Amino acid sequence: MTRIVQGTPVKEIVGQLRQAKGYYITNTARDLSQSDFKNRILLHTDLLAAPSREAANYFSLEITGGASIHVDILRKQVDPFLKLRKLREKMPDTMFQTLCRGINLFGYRPYPQNVIRATVREFAKYVDVWRTFDFLNYVPNMIAVFEEVERAGKLNEPCLCFSTGPEHTNDFYLAKAAEIIAVTGEDITLCIKNHGGLGTPVRIGQLVDALKQKYPDVIVHYHGHNTDGNDVGRIVEAVRNGATIVDAADAAFTGFYGPPPILTVVQTLREFGIEPACLNEDAVIETSDVIREERQHYAQFESQIKGFQPTVQIHKLPGGAMGSSLEQASKGGFLDRVSAILHKELPRVQKELGNYWSVTPGSQILWTTAVSNVLDGERYGNPSGDLRNLLLGKYGPFPFYQPEEWIYEKVLGENWREVLKEEGGLEKSADIDLGHERYALAEAIGSEPTDEQLILYLQHPNDAVDYFKFEEKYGQVYVLPPSVFFRQGGFAPGEKIAFRDCHGKEHMIEIGPSPITDTGETSVYETVDHHQVIYTFKAKAVQGVAGSDATLSKEEILDLAQAGDVRSPFSGNIVEITVEEGQEVMVGDRVAIMEAMKMQTPILAEMAGIVTGIIAKKGDALKPGSKILKIDKN
Amino acid sequence: MKKKILVANRGEIAIRLIRAIQELDYEAIAVYETPDEMSRHIRIADEAVLLGDGPRCDYLNIDKIIRAAIKSGACAIHPGYGFLAENPFFAKACEAAGLIFIGPGSEIIYNLGNKVVARQIMADAGIPMVPGTENLQQGQEGINTALAFGEKYGYPIMLKATSGGGGRGIRRIENDAEMVKQIPVARAEALAAFNDDSVYLEKVVIDPKHVEVQILADSFGKTLHLGTRDCSIQRRNQKLIEIAPSMIKNAKLLDEICETAVKAAKAANYLNAGTVEFLIDRDGSYYFMEINTRVQVEHTVTEMITGIDIVRNQINIAFCKPLSFSQKDVQVRGHAIEVRINAEDPKNDFMPEGGKKVSVYRSTGGFGVRLDGFVYQGYIIPEVYDSLLVKLTVHGFTWEETVGRLKRCLKNFAIRGPKTTIPFYENIANEKDFLSGNFDTSYIETHPHIFHYDEDASEVGKLARFIAELQYQRENPFAK
Repeated sequence: MTRIVQGTPVKEIVGQLRQAKGYYITNTARDLSQSDFKNRILLHTDLLAAPSREAANYFSLEITGGASIHVDILRKQVDPFLKLRKLREKMPDTMFQTLCRGINLFGYRPYPQNVIRATVREFAKYVDVWRTFDFLNYVPNMIAVFEEVERAGKLNEPCLCFSTGPEHTNDFYLAKAAEIIAVTGEDITLCIKNHGGLGTPVRIGQLVDALKQKYPDVIVHYHGHNTDGNDVGRIVEAVRNGATIVDAADAAFTGFYGPPPILTVVQTLREFGIEPACLNEDAVIETSDVIREERQHYAQFESQIKGFQPTVQIHKLPGGAMGSSLEQASKGGFLDRVSAILHKELPRVQKELGNYWSVTPGSQILWTTAVSNVLDGERYGNPSGDLRNLLLGKYGPFPFYQPEEWIYEKVLGENWREVLKEEGGLEKSADIDLGHERYALAEAIGSEPTDEQLILYLQHPNDAVDYFKFEEKYGQVYVLPPSVFFRQGGFAPGEKIAFRDCHGKEHMIEIGPSPITDTGETSVYETVDHHQVIYTFKAKAVQGVAGSDATLSKEEILDLAQAGDVRSPFSGNIVEITVEEGQEVMVGDRVAIMEAMKMQTPILAEMAGIVTGIIAKKGDALKPGSKILKIDKN
Repeated sequence: MKKKILVANRGEIAIRLIRAIQELDYEAIAVYETPDEMSRHIRIADEAVLLGDGPRCDYLNIDKIIRAAIKSGACAIHPGYGFLAENPFFAKACEAAGLIFIGPGSEIIYNLGNKVVARQIMADAGIPMVPGTENLQQGQEGINTALAFGEKYGYPIMLKATSGGGGRGIRRIENDAEMVKQIPVARAEALAAFNDDSVYLEKVVIDPKHVEVQILADSFGKTLHLGTRDCSIQRRNQKLIEIAPSMIKNAKLLDEICETAVKAAKAANYLNAGTVEFLIDRDGSYYFMEINTRVQVEHTVTEMITGIDIVRNQINIAFCKPLSFSQKDVQVRGHAIEVRINAEDPKNDFMPEGGKKVSVYRSTGGFGVRLDGFVYQGYIIPEVYDSLLVKLTVHGFTWEETVGRLKRCLKNFAIRGPKTTIPFYENIANEKDFLSGNFDTSYIETHPHIFHYDEDASEVGKLARFIAELQYQRENPFAK
């Protein structure tokens, strides 16, 4: 049996899967990183693993999507597009897979249709398999993504989000599958998305069987988490009942909340005489050998609570949300209340709010509500905006039943019926003007943005701009290993850091001493490719010291000027104040002249209005940010 | 007892002068203002006198400087460039106090400093000049003269303050209406800035080359030239890069310009070192601009290609010694380029970077390299003076060799703390019009891409900064 390589047309992919003897594996590296390492696994580590992962002949490598796009730019300072290009260089044949939250894309709230389409188009250049879900299993929320993926010639993998409870019957899921297939046709892979790792092996087997009975030509892809330690059992039953693709991950990094190890799945299914399709098991072993050493550097991101959690069957939190939820509990100092939240309040809230699927962003709503209910004492007394939106139906209709009226009243207020009537219904965010967004981004970064930069900006405007500025200042940091990137406690003097930069050039940085001067500044000495370089850092700010006149940044000065508070943009002397109090000024009018090092610079009004107060006078020596004069609006 | 010479200046030129004084086995007296108390020129001099707290006003205070000279027993004063160098009252005060002023006499400074007088002298001597007017008459009469001039020579026309200079008090007029409007404005500004509201007009030579000739004249009637310099690479009439000799291929034209310069100097009865400036139009016609009556910032390039120490000769001439060589002894060998390394941010309209500490200063060296600077590692650049840190002058046998040397030196030069013009010059040194010697005064504005560079351009530089940040923070603050 030949492997399915990247670039194969969708019809052929599906055709080959239908013929398959045995099963395929998706290496769920992204979900592993998200569930067990708070999404921090670096491109550096994925690049180390790339050659053996390429050789392993997986169906696909899930390496982007979910929360990873955001964390890439926010915490790892790597361009999510560049990441895919770099991996593609080393993995020419492997299909790359993403996880897309439908109308919520890779974020937490609905995006305008044109943003969804532009985003999918840009990512579809690199991503071959699109796993798309909606936390309410509301199919219309996924249609824009389906259409763009199909248009790009890539494989759609719509999800049936899976959960347990009296409403979660085969009939329900079969009806959902019918709804999806009515939109996409049968040339898809249909995912059973078991993000919590819920249900027993038998339950999963029954569901797969029911789907295959009704849709023998539809390929089923089982995705699960090993939170209770039993996902291998569910995978086995899924495959025995007709699933063609299953998810698992590299053993060296497996934890408790992500997918189970690949080889365990293979060895167990072998007992039943079922073999993986063209899997290179040696390459699977090699991958773990290559990256095993790296794991120690990610220890700070592993969960605060370790060990399998069979009680996930009660609280139903998805693996991808376990790490971040427990981190929040740890940082918020309520780890001791976690059991009460998870085992008592969360199941109760889940039921009260309609027993929908606990997955992003719905899982965050459930968790936040449960936490608030427990910590604040009054249940639903402090509802989040997202809970309000859920009740208003902004995300879509409740799948089974609506919450009871008292909850509406708590969240929306006494006149909740009117509020629901007036504000209720699907969030219809109008298309935004992409040209305007591009202009705003160009303003923010000072250069014409690329299409990819615009897409990242549309997802997370502030964080994207911060990232672009970071990159301009610090370069492509993905070349640094986790031992450097996540170093805690600093480097030892004499420590040598060798790396290859993004252009392939080799460098050596040797750490020198870091003395603190008598003014409190720290000088960090480095020998960079045999040249000594010194970086000086300001004294760490001591808070609450009176009289310390911090100078303002250029941006702050401009902001103030635009509000009529004219400040000195640099150190220098006032040559002349060229306006008088009460004088009317227009934007661009000269209000003062300053001089520094013999050069005179006019200070211009950034806001039209009337000069109401002149603070500086001729001859004054000003620092950046010192007050010159005030302009008030007419 | 050794003769003492007072150096009435600061910064790199003070050091340059002190060196020549000490090489002649005289003693150098430095003067300084309080903001300059960490300046290296004080340490190098044999004595130093504090003038006052300044800033600038004490370096400009004729009385204080004369008193310092008398008190310290100096017999002569070298003014350098800037400050009092071209102030005829200073030269006159020196003369009155019985001190030797190293430069031309006060009368010559006065005549050549007054644009209109200077033009008259040159016109009488038959030196070619940009068509222009005398001082415009006051009121409507002057405006009528201006409009008639505009009709005759066409726009654009420069409206200049008679007492202006160094790029100040100049405005470009594009049409009659502007002329009418701008003359009173220019007068008012000139009155405020120079205490003299006289203005005159000059035809604009579009995108000329700026070529100047170094002159030495002794008090025995010998006037020599030391060849040409090209100072076309300017920003708002302020020179950035100077080259010797001029890159104009027409040797006959250059010879003619040099001879004209000598003629001009003689017409002005010139004494000591001076510079005759010309504008060269595209058709090869050239016009006298002015004579600078001081040692110029860019004198180093001439020294490099001729081997003649201009400052040493200035002192000897002032002490009534004859020039020890003749015109035929002046041989130009190779090419020299000088760049002014300033503490400025070219990307931010050359905003000065004063007040910053030079945290790293690693200079270059080697064959054919000359440095005239005064800063050192740890030096805090005063905000109250100009931003020149060091002049880098390179000399080579061929133009290619010289440019190659310039590039190498700029690359090896490391100054951290303030932003400098170094990366900007690196871009110029790699720019093809510069490499082919093809530039005029429009160079900076017609080559905007020379402003595109990144101080930490190298990828490893950025990553090194990142690693320093991790080291300073003791963790990765961006990964939290």
